[in-house]
Amino acid sequence: MKINLTSNELNQVKILLGREPNIVELGMIDVMWSEHCSYKSSKLELKKIPTKGRRVIVGPGFDSGIVDLGDGDVVAFKIESHNHPSAIDPYNGAATGIGGIIRDILCTNCRPIALLDSLRFGKLEKGHNRWLFQNVIRGIADYGNCCGIPTVAGEIEFDPSFERNCLVNVACSGIGKKENIVLGKMENPGDILVLLGGSTGRDGIHGVTFASKTIDERSEEDRPSVQVGDPFMKKIVIEATLEALSTRYVRGLKDLGGGGLTCALSEMSDKGGVGAEINIDKIHIREADMAPFELMISESQERMLFVIKPEGLNKILKIFDKWEIKYSIIGKVTNTKKVVVKKDKQIIASLPPKILTEVPPIRRKSRKPNYLKKFPKKFELKQKPKNLSQAIYELLMMPTIASKQYIYQQYDHEVGIRTVIRPGEADAAVLRILGKNKAIAMKTDCNSFHTYLDPYYGHAGAVAESIRNIVVTGAEPIAIADCCNFGNPENPEVFWQFKRSIDGLSYMLNGLDIPCIGGNVSFYNEDERTSTAVKPTIVIAALGLIDDLNHITTLGLKESNQAIIIIGKTYNEIGGSQFSIRFNGIGGKVANAKHDREKASMNAVLSSIRKGYITASHDCSKGGLAIALAKMAINGGFGAIVDIKKIPKTSMNPYELLFSESHGRFIVSSRIEDVGKILKICKDNNASVSLIGKTNDEGTIKFSIGKETIANCEIKKMRKCWKNGIQKYIN
Amino acid sequence: MPNYLVEVIIENKKLAKDPEGETIYRELINKSGYDEILSVRSGKYLRLNVNAQSKNDAEKIVYKMCNDLRIYNPVVHSCKIVAKGNIE
Repeated sequence: MKINLTSNELNQVKILLGREPNIVELGMIDVMWSEHCSYKSSKLELKKIPTKGRRVIVGPGFDSGIVDLGDGDVVAFKIESHNHPSAIDPYNGAATGIGGIIRDILCTNCRPIALLDSLRFGKLEKGHNRWLFQNVIRGIADYGNCCGIPTVAGEIEFDPSFERNCLVNVACSGIGKKENIVLGKMENPGDILVLLGGSTGRDGIHGVTFASKTIDERSEEDRPSVQVGDPFMKKIVIEATLEALSTRYVRGLKDLGGGGLTCALSEMSDKGGVGAEINIDKIHIREADMAPFELMISESQERMLFVIKPEGLNKILKIFDKWEIKYSIIGKVTNTKKVVVKKDKQIIASLPPKILTEVPPIRRKSRKPNYLKKFPKKFELKQKPKNLSQAIYELLMMPTIASKQYIYQQYDHEVGIRTVIRPGEADAAVLRILGKNKAIAMKTDCNSFHTYLDPYYGHAGAVAESIRNIVVTGAEPIAIADCCNFGNPENPEVFWQFKRSIDGLSYMLNGLDIPCIGGNVSFYNEDERTSTAVKPTIVIAALGLIDDLNHITTLGLKESNQAIIIIGKTYNEIGGSQFSIRFNGIGGKVANAKHDREKASMNAVLSSIRKGYITASHDCSKGGLAIALAKMAINGGFGAIVDIKKIPKTSMNPYELLFSESHGRFIVSSRIEDVGKILKICKDNNASVSLIGKTNDEGTIKFSIGKETIANCEIKKMRKCWKNGIQKYIN
Repeated sequence: MPNYLVEVIIENKKLAKDPEGETIYRELINKSGYDEILSVRSGKYLRLNVNAQSKNDAEKIVYKMCNDLRIYNPVVHSCKIVAKGNIE
């Protein structure tokens, strides 16, 4: 057996346990003490993140966070990464990532209703990157589509740092009733433990230790860790689980993910302050001759651990029989405060759950990275494209900005009949709550070009951007979940990035008074051969509530002769912008997201939307004002003329006015007669605002400074560039 | 140069799951009383007509092609390549 514990950790184990662990126990401890299961490097930092709010019912620490929508409705929400498996087997890696997150939602007794995916790859010019890109998307599509859950939104970035380590983050939301919530807990000694679903095999053994390493030659031998997804089985597991839960005989439920049975048994018994005893001879297995420690740590897919009241056992088993799903009655809840594993009536492991769940944190060193020193603080655009119209066309063609139609057209985004806003129609997906005049809005975001130059403000900005994206659809933001993706935390420079990122994220959440209800940390996203770590990336998944379906607002311009208004001030912040990357390379001061500015703009936009004054709305992010307006024109088919002199600003440089990625900005359109009302709402909220132009049906977007036209782009040509940006790389 | 028939059989590795094979076995074979059949493994089959000096060369060409073009993913799949006799 391969042990990944350091000798220091092994000594700690012996001290905590007061004896030598046996081989089975060692296997269980080894897996639970991995970075992936224990969060030993990250947990001290993660404590800084605010997690409480008036709508939070369940926060971090359980399978998924749960928030209250009122009227007894709740939403379970979670985001997770599946980076390492996707980097070596993109199709199955992405598919099983979806499988895992669906189970996290399901086991709270909420029906999974939507998936979102946040993806990062190397540049599409390279064959290997195209292979990863196409197969990850196919994996997500096949799995989500087959089990009947729509994939409704996401985001994607392309950058060489993600070449060997692509990032595949998936978010899922589910809807349920407050009184029916079930948690991953064992509380009552005597309750029966039933393992449901796929049989246990050797696949995925040491999946978590695999994720706690960088990908290098070692990955070759680690390769049996790869899992194969089975979406049709997942659909049956979903239905059987929800039916079993409806009997109210299920007292606790947890999905088996990283750490397998060991993780489920220890976390569930620890949370309820009880013990658990299982007999491993009872587990239904796929391969004979599996060693006991292998059974305890296998991460075979599609498995759930049920805690069932004894009087309801028969009724529950009948349901499982009806759905023809395999299960085994493996043991019971005890009052021993120990996780006990038996084989042939002999005890082969007996551990207090705390030794598995409360792994001592590691204080990692941190040091400001050297790479940051090479970027001058004063950043000048060396190459300025003379022709601004051409620059806009070229930005629209950048895969990070271009239309994501190639991706979302492979996804079923409407199955389940809840989808109100489909991909591409607005900044966030909107799904209705069936039978109510309510909807939820969701979006994932992170700008890793900003976070690379400034992890603090970059991640403050990621929070702000994801929330702006749900606000523009008419939603009140209620919570976020986060998914951290970093290199090797043992490298002080990487750990510095992580620390600063968490600080920036917490700063913005505290300022906006939004709680984080769950998250995931993925370290070791690093190529050892070239020592390239991924750009620091905490993907933020934001969740909002729309309390009247009439408020839902999309991004396309609706009519000619309407007003174009910008809310929020434009600063001299072109560093790390897409414009700078395209024409100058990376460097400079990135947009500093400040919570007071964000709050002012968000409140102004949300009030205006709810009063019905806004006909189209879009957040201003990658590519700045020019690209935001271009997308509104491409989507709605109407043109516009805009005078950039009128923008609330700190600089007069046309490049900065058009392409700066300052936060806290929205572009909205409205009927002329409503302009005064919007201006007043903005003033009342202390938000900078200006009427900057008008829509028309001339088929072009024209930018001017006073009377002088500085760019004039045809919608037709912009649409072509935007649609081809990704498509041109696919055969 | 002679032509060879080359067969390529791609399966999930032995340790990996095979949901398709499992479903065929569980839902069809098992439920229809074919008790003699004990398991099923699904896969992909390619039949290629290859111009090469020898059987061995034909296999080598196909092996290189399968790897270069990612006809299979060595991480998950096993790939068996067999050249049959000259087909002229």
